[in-house]
Amino acid sequence: MWKDLLVERRSKETLNALFFFALLLLFVFEFALGPDRERLAGALPGLLWLGFILSGLLGLGRAFVVERENDCWEALLLAPGDKSAIYVGKLAGNLLLMLVVEAMLLALFGVFFNLDIVPALPALGVVILLGTIGFAAIGTLFAAMTTQVRARELLFPVLLLPVQVPLLLATVKATEAVLLGEPLGAVAHWLKLLAAADVLYVAVGVLTFDFVLEG
Amino acid sequence: MGDNWSFVLAAYGLAVVVVLGYWRMLVRREKDLDQ
Amino acid sequence: MVRVLGAVTVVALAAGLVAGLGLAPREATQGNVQRIMYLHVPSVWVAYLAFAVVFVASIAYLAKRAEAADQLAHASAEVGVLFTGLTIATGSIWGKPTWGTWWTWDARLTSVSILFVMYLGYLLLRGMIEDRERGARYAAVLGIVAAFNIPLVHFSVTWWRTLHQPPSLMKPGPGTMPPVIVATLLVNFVAFSLLYAYFVAKRVRLLRREAEATS
Repeated sequence: MWKDLLVERRSKETLNALFFFALLLLFVFEFALGPDRERLAGALPGLLWLGFILSGLLGLGRAFVVERENDCWEALLLAPGDKSAIYVGKLAGNLLLMLVVEAMLLALFGVFFNLDIVPALPALGVVILLGTIGFAAIGTLFAAMTTQVRARELLFPVLLLPVQVPLLLATVKATEAVLLGEPLGAVAHWLKLLAAADVLYVAVGVLTFDFVLEG
Repeated sequence: MGDNWSFVLAAYGLAVVVVLGYWRMLVRREKDLDQ
Repeated sequence: MVRVLGAVTVVALAAGLVAGLGLAPREATQGNVQRIMYLHVPSVWVAYLAFAVVFVASIAYLAKRAEAADQLAHASAEVGVLFTGLTIATGSIWGKPTWGTWWTWDARLTSVSILFVMYLGYLLLRGMIEDRERGARYAAVLGIVAAFNIPLVHFSVTWWRTLHQPPSLMKPGPGTMPPVIVATLLVNFVAFSLLYAYFVAKRVRLLRREAEATS
């Protein structure tokens, strides 16, 4: 588990590229919507999560590519003992990566779109954390599945996006409410759904990862 | 509300086409295996 | 065996067709369009049944590694996608005269269409893996994830919509349905279930023979 975090920190290439990508996304959003503040503010929760998901797709898609390129895939397959430890480690690494990218994106959004996100930050943090755990849990599982498949760059998002719809709806709705200054209690049903999804996804990931890593 | 038979027939027609289409695909692929 | 099932299915479907288009009366509030319900509701039932079978067969495959379970999951998913597509199409044709539009983001239409893309992705994954054993394993994992996701999709989409409008019901409340309509619906339920069984049986046989031919 720590090995992954270490590799990530040492190479930093994924993070740098993702940072650049996030910056480009902001440009694209601005160009697509124009300078109209009102419209931008209305679309903001959706755009924010679109940004998270797009950068997440890129980041997670690469999760197992390093192993494949360095011929470590066989080593993963042959690793003795419980494979779910590998899953948890990978999940932690991906979660950290996504959270860092999301923090950067959030800061960029605040600066470029002149948003005062600071008062909503604690509540927003809860929503983002809950949403990202679920996203990373399924993303890690699917990334492992698609690594060995041809056209994996295509297949990964095609498999992941429909499965993520509940997370997306819940997080966008909760973010919308939180940015309007509502307390977390007002979106409790969405938070419960997110928590249930997180538990479910992590559990399924831990239980089925053995089968993915068989060959 | 009106009679709207055209919509009803469109729906039933579509269902027939889909079901028959899938059935024919199965039959054709089985025939291909026989040869 | 399959042939007999096919013959029974044809008879049941013909009965359903006659009942739906002829015997059942013109519904008072919706008019004749309501006859589409005799296709739409059994279709969606078959779709859910099919995806439940995929779930059970996926678990069975991972536990027992029997090729038959994998073939059942594959066949059931394919037939399920077929009937999900039919559900969406008939719902859309019903919506045009009823709501005045082919498509609204109504809670049920939306959640069914998410299922549609989710299981389309499942079939896509199966098609893209050459190695049969690995394909079966990955598909089983995806089949399990997708099944767990169905309630999440349902709740999130319902909440997402109902904050703005009550979910529009395809069927009138059960108490208000005249017995003729209930009977017609029942006949079509039986007919569609038979059709499902017939298609799956035929598809499984085809998959088995294809597997024998290539091995």
